[in-house]
Amino acid sequence: MRRVVEGSHAVSHAVDLARVRVISAYPITPQTHIVERLAELVADGVLDARFIRVESEHSAMAAVIGAASAGVRSFTASSSHGLALMHEMLHWAAGARLPIVMAEVNRAMGPGWNIWADQTDSLSQRDTGWLQFYCEDVQDVIDTILIAYRVAERVSLPVMVVLDAFFLSHTYEPADLPEHADVDEFLPPWEPVEVLDPAEPRAFNQLASPEFYMEFRHKMQQAMDEALAAYPEIDRAFAARFGRTHPLVEHIPAEDGARAPLALVTTGTITSTARAALAELRDRGTPVDLVKLRALRPFPQDEIRRVLGPYGRVAVIDRNLSFGYGGIFAQEIRAALSSLADRPVVYPFVAGLGGRDVTPDTVRAVVDRALDDEPPGDILWAGLKE
Amino acid sequence: MSPVTLRTSRDLPPTSRSLDTMEWNHTGSWRFLRPRYQDKVAPCAEACPAGEDIARVQMLLAQGAFDRAWLRIREENPFPGVCGRVCSHPCEAACNRGEFDAPVSINSLERFVADHARRQGLAPPPAEPADSGRHVAVVGAGPAGLTAAHFLRRAGHDVTVFDAREEPGGLLRYAIPAYRMPAEPLAWETGLVMSGGVRFQPGRRLGEDLGWDELSRFDAVLVAVGHWAPAPLGVDGEDLAVDGLALLEDVRRGRPPEVGGRVAVIGGGNTAVDVARTLLRLGAEPVVYYRRRLRDMPALPGEVAELREEGIEIQTLLAPARIAARDDGGLDLALTPMAVLDEDGGQRPRVVPSGHPEIAVAVSAVVTAIGARPSPGTPAAGLDPDGSEAVALHLRRIRPRGEWAERPPVFLAGDLVNQNRTVVAAIASGKEAAVVIDAALRDRALGDAWSAIRVGRKGAVSLNRLAGGDRAFRLDHVVRYDDLNTIYFQYLERKKRPRITLDERRTGFDEVHLRISASLALSEAERCFHCGQCDHCDNCYLFCPEVSVRRDPRAETRQIDYDYCKGCGVCVVECPRSAMVLEEEPR
Amino acid sequence: MVEIRFHGRGGQGAVVASNILAVACFLEDRHVQAFPAFGVERRGAPVEAYIRVDDHKVLLRTNVYTPDHVVVLDPTLVEVVDVVRGLKPGGLLLLNTDLPPDRFPRFAPFSVATVDASRIALRHRLGSRTHPIVNTAILGAFAAATGLVSLDAVCRAIHQEVPSHHDENAAAAREAFEQVAVAREADR
Repeated sequence: MRRVVEGSHAVSHAVDLARVRVISAYPITPQTHIVERLAELVADGVLDARFIRVESEHSAMAAVIGAASAGVRSFTASSSHGLALMHEMLHWAAGARLPIVMAEVNRAMGPGWNIWADQTDSLSQRDTGWLQFYCEDVQDVIDTILIAYRVAERVSLPVMVVLDAFFLSHTYEPADLPEHADVDEFLPPWEPVEVLDPAEPRAFNQLASPEFYMEFRHKMQQAMDEALAAYPEIDRAFAARFGRTHPLVEHIPAEDGARAPLALVTTGTITSTARAALAELRDRGTPVDLVKLRALRPFPQDEIRRVLGPYGRVAVIDRNLSFGYGGIFAQEIRAALSSLADRPVVYPFVAGLGGRDVTPDTVRAVVDRALDDEPPGDILWAGLKE
Repeated sequence: MSPVTLRTSRDLPPTSRSLDTMEWNHTGSWRFLRPRYQDKVAPCAEACPAGEDIARVQMLLAQGAFDRAWLRIREENPFPGVCGRVCSHPCEAACNRGEFDAPVSINSLERFVADHARRQGLAPPPAEPADSGRHVAVVGAGPAGLTAAHFLRRAGHDVTVFDAREEPGGLLRYAIPAYRMPAEPLAWETGLVMSGGVRFQPGRRLGEDLGWDELSRFDAVLVAVGHWAPAPLGVDGEDLAVDGLALLEDVRRGRPPEVGGRVAVIGGGNTAVDVARTLLRLGAEPVVYYRRRLRDMPALPGEVAELREEGIEIQTLLAPARIAARDDGGLDLALTPMAVLDEDGGQRPRVVPSGHPEIAVAVSAVVTAIGARPSPGTPAAGLDPDGSEAVALHLRRIRPRGEWAERPPVFLAGDLVNQNRTVVAAIASGKEAAVVIDAALRDRALGDAWSAIRVGRKGAVSLNRLAGGDRAFRLDHVVRYDDLNTIYFQYLERKKRPRITLDERRTGFDEVHLRISASLALSEAERCFHCGQCDHCDNCYLFCPEVSVRRDPRAETRQIDYDYCKGCGVCVVECPRSAMVLEEEPR
Repeated sequence: MVEIRFHGRGGQGAVVASNILAVACFLEDRHVQAFPAFGVERRGAPVEAYIRVDDHKVLLRTNVYTPDHVVVLDPTLVEVVDVVRGLKPGGLLLLNTDLPPDRFPRFAPFSVATVDASRIALRHRLGSRTHPIVNTAILGAFAAATGLVSLDAVCRAIHQEVPSHHDENAAAAREAFEQVAVAREADR
């Protein structure tokens, strides 16, 4: 059913569609609406799930780890400092190979205290073993939650579904809410292999000596590889049922059959604004191709090389910052491209930190500078005040 | 002060911090809701017929301010030493702490305060009221009459108390046994009433040694002579039985009867319990016969429990049928087995003969304690519903008709009018009498004033409120358990009253309950939530995110700086005892 | 694309108003996007909400800087907030006030529409005397003054989005639709 729905509530309804059985979360702006709506759905008896109230995000993650260990489809949501407090348990969820899905609303880290959009919170969790998918609009949010469970349960790793604070979490727009029956077909009940069962007592996640630890880590890497390999098939299955596709790397040429001199790589809601800004630039005679990057982990290296390799110039907009180096997606892209003998010049822009608006003007300024013969450097600031 | 304006980003400090004080930012302008300190009514105070400011008294006790606690009680009740011993303490049933763990032991603490005052020889500050020139006669020196006399005297009237007996106190002196109400603390408190300037005329029995010619010379008369006449048993051989009240009076006068062997006590009220326990102490073997069930007994549950601890037997669902003399000088008591007819409705169910055969018991004596009737000499017009009218909850006035038209206004108080014949209800009655008579003598209509001087909805009257004291400024909202933020309270055991040993209790008239120690009193008073009373716990100060709670430790006040209070309400939420309110900001 | 900005006070329902309007436009097969000013909400503080309406999918995910219309729910805000900030020349300013539009000469470059939404809301028992709930009434006035959306769609959106008192809210919208007074910039 197509209706006007808020980005946060879209998450909640997708969780309902996924027939999640245990939810545990601690409220934090701007994630609160997700949890509020889920609590209502559970309280109203719409969603047959246990809502476990906790005193912190660390406990919320611990609770869903427990639930998932028992073989129950589980969900949590957090943001910013809440996610940071979860950090230890994030490693645990991934190391325990639990297919938990979390909605992560990108919000800046303090101080200075800031509740607005910024990706540094989720990117700081890059190495915890979680898959991370970034969303562009409300429809993307709904679809990605459903896809996330299918991927997570396929490879036994947790998935973070990431959406921008306010620009997505608090925005109402029309979206298709699939029917339960269709979702049930796409996402059948999880059939865990090993579950924690008091009737059959066993030890879980106990000491792993140097003799075995490395092999466990190797298996996690293999699971990430498998996720990458299986994703297109899952995306095709989703498209077959719902008519929408969400590739990990989406290539949007300005003009069909032609390659523009510059490719602009974006993530999250900036992609949407960039679509509008680049369409206008194309109409004014400046074609720039757009590449939407959807995943941080597993990082689609081959796809990045295939899509971006042929370009002369690539501009990346990062709404995040690794202090002492630069934008994080740009680093990943540069690293992926480094194995190519003939590789494009990468222009790594940092923009929109702490909710500063990334407007069509910002996109045009980025394009102008990348097409101008500005030396690329390691970090290019867009929209910084003098 | 004004905001600092940044010209370039070079002016920015390394992180977000203000370059100057933020006092320019009057966050009070954001306010939508306004918190305010507002004391309210505690449920114990509402439940106390005598209108004592109990939660505030507990606060003073917890602070160790024992003297002030005593004075605080005496503002409303001149008999804390009496009530601390024999009060039915409805305050404890209403105590919010009861929903948390167990009610505060308010009754024990009242006794503690009163004993402290007596041992320290405290004296109330001398009241020097302007002499009104009006004279009031109070007939009956029981709790109702003496309370009325006390407060009327403080209001400036010349008060004379008449009583049939030699000493003041009424039932407290001549009926309630010494093991519950020893003579000394009573004498001290009645003495304080007299030392305030109340005249006492002993040995003046209404209708015998005291006539209406004499009473008519006063400007107002209060009759509070109580119930001393025995209610008839209505069975054959009734004249062979002894009146329980007369027996208790004999004992208190130092003329204990010779008793021994098995003695039947008929009744289920406090008098029956007092009689049985007295008989035990005199060496007899009392058995209580009650026509209803144990749970229906109107006696205070604590008294019934102590009676049973002392080994006295209670036989229930047995009503006296006949008393007959035996050849050996003893009596045969025939009892009819009863059955409960209906459970619904009031507190006490109706009972009827069960149809089972009568039971006969051989006893040395039968003592009746099935209730008492108005004392002889009580004006018949006052007891006639047409002859008198209710002028307050516990007060009636004889209609000025016939012979009464010629007389000054005559009021009836205490057991004569009270449904609930407890000591504390008598005190409440005396307070109402003082308020009404004072108004009448000053030609002042009370009318709406009642609502201003009542505490809560249960009829308690506060003289502090009447005088425009601090209680007059409390919000007329009774704090309920749900109003409290109990996260700040710990579960603490209710202190037990220390008592003398069971052997001592069975053989003598020493007071059963001992005074609790000061340290025990302190820790028990600390259990009090102080519902609706700010005790300066400073939660508001600690939680206020705008630092807008201003403390003045010396003056012991807290004030909200409304320039900065943004109306978030956290102070109200975190106030453990609901001593604040959050109101919509007037726009 | 049409961009609209709502001004209200926290707790007054400006965000809900923008959502109802978005649903109303959606019901007439328009593409919509509604979102609040991303602030730290407090009751009583000035707040803003935005809506974009277009014939194509709305791609812009940025703040609204140059609205085509501005709706002011609280008459006192006119004194404390620059309500016409960025308003396109000739754009419409809709005010909840008991004054006629010609009493606002300072907004001369714009069309001004006024409606006494507070009185209408109270007549339909929406909110209290001190805090009338005006957001549905003002939408009826908006439909009449702009023609962007039909009154019927507004009423249907009210039924979908408002949790209670559907009929009273719809009646308030209808009454405001009839009562709004407009002074077009072109006519002045």
